[in-house]
Amino acid sequence: MLLPRLVMICLLAMAPRSAGAIEGDKELFPASGTETGKLVVHAATDLEAMRPLVLDFQSQYPGLAVEFVDYVTNDLFREAIDACAGRVQGGDILLSSSVDQLVRLANDGCAQPHNSRDTVNAPDWANWRDEIFGFTFEPIVFVYDRRVVPAKDVPRSHEELADLLRSKPDDYRGRIGTYDIEASGVGYLLAFNDSRQAPTSYGRLIESLSRTQTVIRCCNNEVLGEIAAGNVRLAYNVLGSYAYAASRTNSDLGIVLPRDYTLVLSRGAMIPSTAPNPVLGKLLLDYLLSPRGRAVSREKSFFFSENGPLPAEVDGPTSLMESGIGRPIRIGPALLAAQDEIQRRTFIEDWKRLIEGR
Amino acid sequence: MTAHKSSLFSRLARRVAVVLALGAATLITAAWFYARAAADEAYDRLLLGAAFQMAESLVVADDRLSFVLPPSAFELLGLAQRDRIFYRVVDPSGETLTGYGDISPSADLSRSRAAPVFANMAYRGVEVRTVTTARAVTSQSGTGWAYVIVAQTTEARQALASELTTRAVILVAAMSLLALIGSALAIRLSLRPVDQLGDILRQRDPQDLTPLAATVPRELLPFVTSINHFINRLDERVRLLQRYIADSAHQIRTPLTALTAQVSLINEDTLSPDDRRHLERVRNRTAELARFTNQLLNHAMVIHRFDSTQLAPVSLNDVARKAFRATVPITIDPDMVVSFEASEEELTVLGDLLSLREAIANVIDNALRHGATSRLEVRATRFGDLGRIEVCDDGPGIPPEDWANVTKRFYSSRTEKGSSGLGFAIASEVAFELGGQIGFRGKTAGLPFCVYIDLPLVKEDKG
Repeated sequence: MLLPRLVMICLLAMAPRSAGAIEGDKELFPASGTETGKLVVHAATDLEAMRPLVLDFQSQYPGLAVEFVDYVTNDLFREAIDACAGRVQGGDILLSSSVDQLVRLANDGCAQPHNSRDTVNAPDWANWRDEIFGFTFEPIVFVYDRRVVPAKDVPRSHEELADLLRSKPDDYRGRIGTYDIEASGVGYLLAFNDSRQAPTSYGRLIESLSRTQTVIRCCNNEVLGEIAAGNVRLAYNVLGSYAYAASRTNSDLGIVLPRDYTLVLSRGAMIPSTAPNPVLGKLLLDYLLSPRGRAVSREKSFFFSENGPLPAEVDGPTSLMESGIGRPIRIGPALLAAQDEIQRRTFIEDWKRLIEGR
Repeated sequence: MTAHKSSLFSRLARRVAVVLALGAATLITAAWFYARAAADEAYDRLLLGAAFQMAESLVVADDRLSFVLPPSAFELLGLAQRDRIFYRVVDPSGETLTGYGDISPSADLSRSRAAPVFANMAYRGVEVRTVTTARAVTSQSGTGWAYVIVAQTTEARQALASELTTRAVILVAAMSLLALIGSALAIRLSLRPVDQLGDILRQRDPQDLTPLAATVPRELLPFVTSINHFINRLDERVRLLQRYIADSAHQIRTPLTALTAQVSLINEDTLSPDDRRHLERVRNRTAELARFTNQLLNHAMVIHRFDSTQLAPVSLNDVARKAFRATVPITIDPDMVVSFEASEEELTVLGDLLSLREAIANVIDNALRHGATSRLEVRATRFGDLGRIEVCDDGPGIPPEDWANVTKRFYSSRTEKGSSGLGFAIASEVAFELGGQIGFRGKTAGLPFCVYIDLPLVKEDKG
């Protein structure tokens, strides 16, 4: 039942923008006790990943009902801009993996700061102006199908991936999956950061991908679904948390953290300046940053943490951060460059020309 | 008490504090301005660097102006970590190429062609610092000017400025405090001569009418001169008064002697018992009057002698013995035991024989007349560096609360009848003139009441 829903969302996202309100996927978590308030979460985050966190949060605040609205990143961004301008009623807290969009929103004055005992826990690179906090630690990984990718083929760096596609173009033609960076904000953010981290290998990789008729899907789960379905052998730039969640139910999925560099994304949380109940939003934000929230996140939702070891079965360097392989995407003004209209248009045009210009 | 204004110290300290506070306020204001200028300069460089980088990224491709926003420019601006960034790129036709189309720090962008233009403005409700740079771009349609406007909020600047200002404030406050403490100490030290003058005046003997000999700062000299002038006039008045009294006493003595003689010539046998009693009273009163007149004369004599006579070494034993002999009458009550005990060693003081004898005689006379009932002891002893004449009697003594008063002229305690009140005054003045003093020792169990005169001994080598 997950897949059709996601397809629908992707279709919606890719459809020409209609003038009406942007619809997200809604789910209500009723209060377990007498309802004293309702927290509205607008998120571009898989609900299944957030569910344990929301439930644990509600066990701390039994009087709170939580309305969880799930969008794709770009829709969330548009909805937030509308809410900031006062055109529609926004959420009490925004959660998005596309942190560059959150940075843009904060830069435009659409966020309100929050300071508490828990917010100081956020690492320096995951806090901008006390307005945007990164509450997860998600390495960006390659995912492959163990059934069809022989062990010697498994790429352990971006270079090796490019080489693999060059040396065995026939094996992987039409069998490599990645995001549509136009539809997915996080896909664009990751590609943009790839191009900045290693411009040369990024160029080679894009060129190789273009020759292998890459399968482009809107979202993480859809890409993972294509692997599970046997349509795709290897996926590039998948959020580690989703990949690991999928691998727990499907042992055929292999996960690799590239050893040349691994981008690390911290999912952003932001309290909009126009939030109807900012106090409730801040409660959830504090919970997500608190040790308890992080523990639940590590065990049930996102599986990786900055200081903890990698989960078993994940192929990656032992000390991701200390070795310097892990490259956190710093939440800060530099992300504004990614959000520049011309930048974005040019980057996506180039990408599409290469990937789709088969 | 006389009413007084606030002390010189607090007046000075207050004024110094006001001056220091004004100075500190000026310094802090200046520090604030400097800090703002410094913060602006530091962050203006970042802003300008970012603007240059962005201007460099304007390129003409396919006869179109294109722009690739360099993330490094934002990383540069990101050094001011909490500040928001706005930018706008304007193409030669005046259209906004990218960025926030509504930033316009000035209507005339062309001013930035010569040099980058900085400005402060409010944008989206917050204060921002902007820089505008221009870059000439050439395409096939000709050469035109493109502009890059970069704006940054001022949180980091304000934080830096307030941090710098805070440090300056701490420094200025510390310096002001030090200056205040230093000034207070300096004022205290400078005002010390005033206190010293006050102490000298306070400790002065009320009978001392010699001029003040204190060395004082120039500013206090008028006061000392005035005080001395006043003392001199007072001294002259006192002398005049004393001379007048002495003259009067002398004038009275002659008729008094005649009166005594006349009284003694009255034949008592012919008188009635009442008259005889009246005569007895007249005789007593006359004798009292004679003694009082004598004392007045003695007093005048003593003062006169100190004014005119050079002091000479005097043997304390001798002078005490002479006074003892002169005072104790031959007709003394046989029941009264009187004794004189000289010191074994020679006690030499610098003094005037006559005055000294008169002083001791007055003390002995007082003891005989008002104190002793059956015993009188006169002793010369050595008491440390002092020679001491002790006159002790077995009478009730003088109560301690009167000790200070009995040495004043004409003081008479109510319990004592017939006291002229000049005896102790003469003794006290003589002792004072000779650098000594008169003292009392209360009656205790086993020890009688004593009056003593202490006088400094002449050092052996000098004598």
